[in-house]
Amino acid sequence: MAEEKLLLLKNIRQQGYGGDYASYKKTGGGAAFKKALTGMTPAEVIETVKESGLRGRGGAGFPCGVKWSFMPKDLPGPDQKPHYLVCNADEAEPGTLKDHVLMLGDPHMFIEGMMIGCYAMRSTHGYIYIRGESPHAIRRVQAAIDELYKAKLLGKNILGSGVQLDLTVHPGAGAYICGEETAMLDSLEGKRGLPRSKPPFPAQSGFNACPTTVNNVETLANIPFILTEGPKAFAAFGSENNTGTQAVSISGHVEKPGVYEMDMGHNLKSILEDFAGGVRGGKKLKALIPGGASAPVMRADEIDVPYDFDSLMKAGTMRGSAAIMVFDEDTDMVEVANRTIRFFNHESCGQCTPCREGTFWIKNMIRQFGDDAGDEALLSLVHRAAGNIIGTTICAFGDAVGGALQGFVQKFPEDFRNHFQS
Amino acid sequence: MRLGTVRFSEAVLKEVEALFARYPVKVNALLPLLHMAQRENGGWLQPGWDSYIAELCGTTLNHVRGVITFYNMYRTSAPGKYHIMVCTCLPCGLCGGAEVMEHLEKRLGIHAGETTGDGMFSLEEVQCLAACDQAPLMVVNEDMQKRITLEQIDRWVEDTRAKKA
Ligand SMILES: Cc1cc2nc3c(=O)[nH]c(=O)nc-3n(C[C@H](O)[C@H](O)[C@H](O)COP(=O)(O)O)c2cc1C
Ligand code: FES
Repeated sequence: MAEEKLLLLKNIRQQGYGGDYASYKKTGGGAAFKKALTGMTPAEVIETVKESGLRGRGGAGFPCGVKWSFMPKDLPGPDQKPHYLVCNADEAEPGTLKDHVLMLGDPHMFIEGMMIGCYAMRSTHGYIYIRGESPHAIRRVQAAIDELYKAKLLGKNILGSGVQLDLTVHPGAGAYICGEETAMLDSLEGKRGLPRSKPPFPAQSGFNACPTTVNNVETLANIPFILTEGPKAFAAFGSENNTGTQAVSISGHVEKPGVYEMDMGHNLKSILEDFAGGVRGGKKLKALIPGGASAPVMRADEIDVPYDFDSLMKAGTMRGSAAIMVFDEDTDMVEVANRTIRFFNHESCGQCTPCREGTFWIKNMIRQFGDDAGDEALLSLVHRAAGNIIGTTICAFGDAVGGALQGFVQKFPEDFRNHFQS
Repeated sequence: MRLGTVRFSEAVLKEVEALFARYPVKVNALLPLLHMAQRENGGWLQPGWDSYIAELCGTTLNHVRGVITFYNMYRTSAPGKYHIMVCTCLPCGLCGGAEVMEHLEKRLGIHAGETTGDGMFSLEEVQCLAACDQAPLMVVNEDMQKRITLEQIDRWVEDTRAKKA
């Protein structure tokens, strides 16, 4: 196995690491928050994160420090609106499991990052939105927060600084769309999770119409390192515009599925072969989906590329949530398309007509191929219907389902032709 | 309508108060409140609980019903004593999840979404649970059984049925 670069998983990879606050502290944990609170202004923290080049690990890859700088700079006074930081721990993109590994194995790392983010954005209350289907993760993170209250690192007048900070775990209730940040805010408000039109952006009007930033678990887990070791040490990992390491989930037909940490920009083929042990059972690779169900599929001959945001975009797909799903030579891509569209149809919030109707009708079309009742006209109809969802919806869900479905048709038309009516 | 016929115990109401204190307005706590209502009532939202919860957090019954029907986890009928979830999403579905589902349907004599006549087992098909490296998997109540085989499933069903007898 290739060697991991350990920044996020450094504690988790230690035999017997407990993940409680005492263990975390022994590894130097907590120092970054203390440093921010006692030695840095909020503006300095944001500047440091900007310098590191850290890009959001939730899917879109937006620069974290830049996002933080969109929040109003004035201190929220009694007559002003409170600021919020919401941690996106919904992790429901098919194939993605790295946030769960981080939450279960070393919850204090991302929580410390979140506490630093709250300080930088002058938020006195942060919410961690964890999907409801993961009671074990909810309990684990709640226990970590309880420890921090006990240690007086949460609550009023933390470390005598006058700063107040509360953190609350909010359980979701089973809706993939609530991973989309504005749907998440609706859900946090006690509503159905429907994505909002932007503008206004959450930094102006987010949770309860107050300035809000949403960050992914892994994004926040990088923050303590950036503060203690400095932005340059962080940027020494990865490549120029894609700094740091990344926690990659790999699943499907591989020998060793799981989560591995490596530089941003590590070769995709090497991730499959050197980390995940290659295709299972000595079979040949047929295809892989590089960034969760939302990312267009790649053929086996296309994967000799650096695995980062920019390189995969250039390759016509996306890194997304860094979930690589591997399919061996025996896989029927019609079946992969079928599971993908069933997922998207099930999870469409129903707000936008192209997505609500499009996912329903494409699901039925794909099912016809499954029944060996396809033909050339139906194949091009799938492609056209998928294209009609792209760019016509409120949130990026529509682009994802459209792009993913077009990908299957474009890259593997022969698999669909095998299901033509004879 | 059975307004006013159900309510939380005093102990749970204390929990509700603590929950409300974590949010700027009560209605923000609707999702965790509905989870509590399910937890206290055999895993489903029995009649009357929607209006009680609406009253508790100061919103309308329609709002609460809209929320209940939007999210997968809120149930308006009783689950089996053993509620089984099987992930058939991508990639689980291609790594044995589909076979596990098919096997359970045959074995229990019900389709996904149904409950056995004796109320013992209910079966639900779910989307990705963020444990794809453990495929195929089956979750019984809160317990996730990883990399499960069809033989293990048979044994589990038999043992569970025997426990009841
Ligand atoms: C349909 C959809 C689902 C998403 N699901 C998630 C998710 O489960 N977890 C996540 O962190 N981001 C998810 N995102 C991305 C979020 O909208 C948002 O970009 C992210 O949480 C921002 O955090 P970051 O800047 O730290 O990456 C999703 C986006 C879309 C459009
Ligand atoms: S696809 Fe089943 S857990 Fe992810």
